[in-house]
Amino acid sequence: MTSAESQREALHHIAALRAESTAQRPTETELMARPKVVEVDHLDFSFGSRQVLYDINLDVRAGEIMVIMGGSGSGKTTLLRHLVGLMPPQPGKVKLLNKDMGSLKPNELLDLKRKIGVAFQFGALFSSMTVAENVKLPLRELTDLGEKTMDIMANLKLEVVNLSGFGGLMPAALSGGMVKRASIARAIVMDPKLLFLDEPSSGLDPVVSSALDDLILKLREAMDISVVVVSHDIDSAFKIADRITVLDQGHILAIERVEAIRNSTNERVQNLLNRRSVEAEVDPAEYLRRLTGD
Amino acid sequence: MNAAVRGFEAIGRRSAGFFDQVGYGSTLLAASIYWLLVGWRRRQPVRIRMIFHEMQQIGVAALPIATLLSGTIGLMLAIQSLYSLGLFGAEAYAYIGIALSVAREFSPLIMAILVAGRSGSAIAARLATMTINQEVDALQVMGINPVRYLVSPVVVALALMLPCLAMWANLVSEFTAGFYVSAALNSSFGAFVNDSLTVLKTGDIWHGIGKATLFGVLIALVAVVNGSTVSGGAEGVGKVTTLSVVQSICMIVVADMLFAYIATR
Repeated sequence: MTSAESQREALHHIAALRAESTAQRPTETELMARPKVVEVDHLDFSFGSRQVLYDINLDVRAGEIMVIMGGSGSGKTTLLRHLVGLMPPQPGKVKLLNKDMGSLKPNELLDLKRKIGVAFQFGALFSSMTVAENVKLPLRELTDLGEKTMDIMANLKLEVVNLSGFGGLMPAALSGGMVKRASIARAIVMDPKLLFLDEPSSGLDPVVSSALDDLILKLREAMDISVVVVSHDIDSAFKIADRITVLDQGHILAIERVEAIRNSTNERVQNLLNRRSVEAEVDPAEYLRRLTGD
Repeated sequence: MNAAVRGFEAIGRRSAGFFDQVGYGSTLLAASIYWLLVGWRRRQPVRIRMIFHEMQQIGVAALPIATLLSGTIGLMLAIQSLYSLGLFGAEAYAYIGIALSVAREFSPLIMAILVAGRSGSAIAARLATMTINQEVDALQVMGINPVRYLVSPVVVALALMLPCLAMWANLVSEFTAGFYVSAALNSSFGAFVNDSLTVLKTGDIWHGIGKATLFGVLIALVAVVNGSTVSGGAEGVGKVTTLSVVQSICMIVVADMLFAYIATR
């Protein structure tokens, strides 16, 4: 893509983002007719002797927003790390955009990673660089664009996430919500086909969190991308998701559309939705042994 | 009996950990060289700008403290040489010991210790902080190889700048030693320089440069290995920073002895 084309496309995105979101959720049939952009087959994962993920199977369709939801320690982040290639599947298979990540050559993996964007829970912005430098980093390292063009591209993406004018600040000078938005700006600077967001609304007040949800919906609409969101924020999940995957102690409890999840009869799903903690049955003798270490 | 078993276990664990780190460091060195040589063919060249930035931080910014240290070492060597040779009435030959010990031993060793404390700790702390803040993960998911982006520039900069600092330390130490010796013996400074140049062979200079290059690579690898294997938040960063300095200095001294043994046989 030439720099002029990139700029034209980015301007188109901004125009689309400024327009009110009018998109409806796709129907089940529409969604399932679309090609798969993420496929996970029989993924297991253990940290030493502790199994974290059990036989995970899921897919994400083109243009879909899939929210992976679950309580703390349910394996959400571990699953996300597998999806973005930070952990190799062992055993199991993860395919992004029809490419099996485990069998790609380094050059092919590099090409694939250019087509995905990831925004981490705490932003993972480089603290030694300004916000604009952070956004420009993938362009600087992975493209041959000139400095002027990179400046324009970074400013356009910052405009998209409502951070225009903040490019010269260091990440330490930003609020929590601004860090998340700057991180999203960096994630979308290469115009990815797939966007992964780790806990985008954690630590944010409800107003900022809601604005971030709107941004995610508009990004999907304007950039025609698929979004995978890992979250434990139920309200946010119901607002943005086309489908929700519920994880519980490393097992997938359900992969359903929002209404189906809301009306689920599964007790564990309902416990999660109603924020009820599940008291595990404890053998008193075992409990005592754990405490005393005998 | 139990204490003995636990002791052996601890020694075994530490030995395994040491070899694990050596293996990881060797892999990082090989990967750094790989990215330097073929990075441009993989559309990920090691940026000259990044290397210059590291060289500026490691070398140029260290010049004032390097000058002060090497000047003091030169004076100290001159004082000790005149005293010890004076016991045999051989003060006039002080230049031999000073020239050879500065070029072959003191300049690379002192500069390496200085850089390990100043830059090695900074590199370890920076990498550890980046690892904890998921900045290294961010590089990976962007498709930017962390070894190419973070490690190769540091290895190259240290391997280039430590010999430069050692050469600068040679000049400063010789100057201060010459100044002191010529004043103490009522001879001319020019005569001291002339005598020193007569005794110094090209091999002595290369000996110092070779050592300094080796020390530079060692400091880089120790800092990177410690920085990238951090765990435990802010406390972990502190621990790996300290560990990096201690390990670097230990490895420099051991490598110095091995280098001297091999190079003088």
